[in-house]
Amino acid sequence: MTPAGPGVRIEIRPASAAGAGAGPGWPATTGAVVVDGADACFVPRHPFLAGTTYAVRVDGTETLLHRAGIDTPATAHVVGIHPTCPTVPRNLLRCYVEFDRPMSEGFAARSVRLIEANGTELVDALLPTEPELWDGARRRLTVLLDPGRIKRGLVGHRAVGYPLPTGGDVRLVIDERMRDADGRPLRAAAQRSYRVGADERRPIDPTAWTVPPPPTGTGDDLVVRFDRPLDHALLGRCLRVLDPLGAPVPGRATPGPQDRSWRLSPARPWRAGEHRLVVDPVLEDLAGNSVTRVFDRELDRPGGRTPPPASVPFLLA
Amino acid sequence: MTDHGLRTGTVAPTSAGPIDFGPDGILFVADNVAATVHAVDVADPGAAAASEPFDLDDVDARIGSLLGSDAADVAIRDLAVHPTTHNVYLSVQRGHGAAGTAVLVRIDRVDASISEVLLVDVPLATLAITDAPAEDDERQDVTLPLGAHEGEELPVGERTIRIQRSAIRTSTITDMAYVDGMLFVAGLSNEEFSSKLRRYPFPFTGRAADNNLEIFHVSHGQWETAAPIRVFVPYDDGRSILASYTCTPVVHFSLADLRSGTKVVGRTVAELGPLNQPLDMVSFVQDGAEHLLIANTSHGLLTIACADIDRQEPLTQMTEPVGVPRKTEELPGVVRLDNFGEGYVLALQRDDSGRHHLRSLKVSSL
Repeated sequence: MTPAGPGVRIEIRPASAAGAGAGPGWPATTGAVVVDGADACFVPRHPFLAGTTYAVRVDGTETLLHRAGIDTPATAHVVGIHPTCPTVPRNLLRCYVEFDRPMSEGFAARSVRLIEANGTELVDALLPTEPELWDGARRRLTVLLDPGRIKRGLVGHRAVGYPLPTGGDVRLVIDERMRDADGRPLRAAAQRSYRVGADERRPIDPTAWTVPPPPTGTGDDLVVRFDRPLDHALLGRCLRVLDPLGAPVPGRATPGPQDRSWRLSPARPWRAGEHRLVVDPVLEDLAGNSVTRVFDRELDRPGGRTPPPASVPFLLA
Repeated sequence: MTDHGLRTGTVAPTSAGPIDFGPDGILFVADNVAATVHAVDVADPGAAAASEPFDLDDVDARIGSLLGSDAADVAIRDLAVHPTTHNVYLSVQRGHGAAGTAVLVRIDRVDASISEVLLVDVPLATLAITDAPAEDDERQDVTLPLGAHEGEELPVGERTIRIQRSAIRTSTITDMAYVDGMLFVAGLSNEEFSSKLRRYPFPFTGRAADNNLEIFHVSHGQWETAAPIRVFVPYDDGRSILASYTCTPVVHFSLADLRSGTKVVGRTVAELGPLNQPLDMVSFVQDGAEHLLIANTSHGLLTIACADIDRQEPLTQMTEPVGVPRKTEELPGVVRLDNFGEGYVLALQRDDSGRHHLRSLKVSSL
């Protein structure tokens, strides 16, 4: 019971719990009662939730009050789905879904799905993660394919096989049931289609990249081309260029189309001398292979522990 | 009690994450959005408890009644039992999105009364999780905050707007455990597929960067892999850890083997099976022998004798059953576990209709 003004008792519960029971195990909603003259105002400790019905009992008389749901139009939409390349390896590990505004957690499991070309949902292909993997602003969702079905030798891989169908076509679908931070659905569903290609089991080898040196004295972009698409998110932070003195070259870095390249627009003209493209070893490709390790390394395969190159030199004449 | 470096303060966690008790009734509370762990003296008011069972139906609806929300708007993220009073602490996310709040709830094991544990003017210490957005990652997402006081002011020409900067790279804490002056933290990155297990001295010193441990494991003697540790449990007086991964191998490693900056390869002793996810683990002693209880998404509770783990050779054959012998308890839907005195394990159970209940499992019957 929540005491109110003289002789008045106010008790509030969600209607769904109002008839469940009494006693200390079924507490009334916590809050404070502010008495203003003849009026008593209940201030909940946590704001009343939209779409919830409350049972308000005042001096033994109960009234149901419904707090309206969000009725403003849906505006949130998907602005990006990565990878962006048309063909992904069969052992694809990770996708990213980007939204134009902050979203709510707790809806991805029902809203994000992989669907085959014939319309069949690939059940159990995606790894349920609780809590979901969002960036700090809740605008980018990381979606993992079940690694237990990708890793060779594990029971999941042997018994159920790869999450993606060999040689087939799939769509990653984000339907309207996703909710934005205000609880509204998406304005429209979004999807991206992929052809499922061969496995990618090689470590990332920066020496296989092309790094054509830009002309000295110009502000031309440096464009690094990879031998395969790389992870979109990691590409955003794992590469940098050092000048001949070892100082980072300032500029604007952006992943290229399909994450097959990386472009650095320098903030100042290029200087002559040996530069180095430095690679953070955590950089991964679409299948989770990094510079330092492959996703699952065969122990009897030689060369698995060869130290990877930490950087790629290129000379500006 | 010693102060453990705690100072009176106030904190409002932004997201409900794992919780776990450390020494002297100090509760570790993870906040995944803020990438922090708070150590809080919860000043539990209860008396020391004997080993008695405690069961409570519809715990999510009861919490919702307290917090003013339907059970569907109550997500119980973790469970921890006070080691002395056996009062039950639950890490709860109430509501979604902008309306979502993180709440710490205590259930009195004597009368089942439920109360919110306010982290206001309480002894606390806060740890920033390294490897969350770090100095080497300057990427930030800039948004317009929903509230009038969140974020920071930014002058734009003659006007001032309020913006909020958020890290793009995050690390979600999936499990924590305190062992002999160290807090171990397992997490899941939203970018790289890292298998780092972090350990931080407690009392918090602010230093931990040299304590990231990369734990590898070997599948059937043929493939060496790394993966994020999802849940883990210390046992053998803190000398060993049993960890379960997102890809379901159950791996043993010795804490004595852990040296900063060195590669650690654990011993794969079991697999949980296909399309399965580990959810929680706890150790208990039955007839003088230590056992481990594993909650998972596909099977009932799995019980493993620690002696069998010690005996288990690294898995090299892909034959069924895979690895160490285990007993399955026909108790479906258990999502969280903690010790409830020496005689019981407390389980949070989700039934087919989505309702959550607290169930005491008698150790002698497991």
